[in-house]
Amino acid sequence: MNHSQFLISGFLRPPFYNGVGRQINQLQRLTIKFCKSHGGSKGMRDFIENHLVNYAKENQSVVVYVKPRRHRSPVIVAEYLNGDRRWMSAQNRNHEEILKWLSLLSLQAGDTEPIRYRKNWHTDCPSIQGPWTPFTHKNPAFNNIAFPDKELGKQLNMPETATEKLLRLVQEQKNTKNE
Amino acid sequence: MSITQRVQQWATFGRVWHVYDCSYQNPFDSAKVIVKYLKGMQKPIYHPMNDCGDHVVCINTKQIALPGDEWTKRAYFHHTGYPSSATWTLAWELHSKDPMMIMKKAIYRSLGGNLQRRHTMQRLHLFKDDKVPQEVLDNITNQIRQLRPVPQRLDHIDQEVIDNFPKIMDYPEDYLPKAIK
Repeated sequence: MNHSQFLISGFLRPPFYNGVGRQINQLQRLTIKFCKSHGGSKGMRDFIENHLVNYAKENQSVVVYVKPRRHRSPVIVAEYLNGDRRWMSAQNRNHEEILKWLSLLSLQAGDTEPIRYRKNWHTDCPSIQGPWTPFTHKNPAFNNIAFPDKELGKQLNMPETATEKLLRLVQEQKNTKNE
Repeated sequence: MSITQRVQQWATFGRVWHVYDCSYQNPFDSAKVIVKYLKGMQKPIYHPMNDCGDHVVCINTKQIALPGDEWTKRAYFHHTGYPSSATWTLAWELHSKDPMMIMKKAIYRSLGGNLQRRHTMQRLHLFKDDKVPQEVLDNITNQIRQLRPVPQRLDHIDQEVIDNFPKIMDYPEDYLPKAIK
């Protein structure tokens, strides 16, 4: 069996208590590499001229590095707080596309690997009562009963028998006479 | 795993011992109920691959009540494997040879085909009367309710109850009941 064909399974997990008190942007460092002369980096150059300063102002917690290099394709590398590093090529992408990719990268928490959720919810505290045991909701009177017990084994919800009805009628008759 | 979690695990998967009184019960209807306890299907943690079945102690299997004319019509087939060794034993005959066999076969059959069936049957304890060893009785913490009422025999009713039973009239002193032909 080729295990690489299957998704890794896991649970839905936010970064350590992120957003409970305050929200910390998980994207920490952004490295933009591009070439000053090649056509593949045209969109990246446009992005740096038009949007990069604005982007850096809006995301002040992100450190942005811009690294020109000769005759190499443009690349975006995002590094996250949990140590994940996401590399993506921006070859032949125009500046609008790059802006969209960057906004996606800055919203992510660094989980670059897709996982199959074993459950669609997750809680650190599954149960306050604790798991079920055979003694949960058990009548404590059972501790003092000697099994087998005649009354406990009897069938429930039986209709009244003719004998019981006769005895009941006689008892009622007696009660009315006494009154 | 901490010691509390370990104890919690033991508590959740602890096997419970149930007792079931077979007297005047239909073994085939009772088997359907007993099987649920043997497999642990009454538990919220049940899963077919979860080993959570309970023990069931069936007492008074000699007192089972077969419906209709099943005592004389129901046949139990057995073949030893040798030629011409097939036997068909009637229910009353089998019951006189082994008073636990009809109950056992009814439960074995209603467990359904499964590799776990023999292991599940190991958790069934059959007794022909109510003489159960003390070490078995010590384990029991629950009782399964019977499916039908147990009829009361006249010779088991107290004489006082019989005397005080309401009557319309008393028979005369010299009354002779009609002779049974």
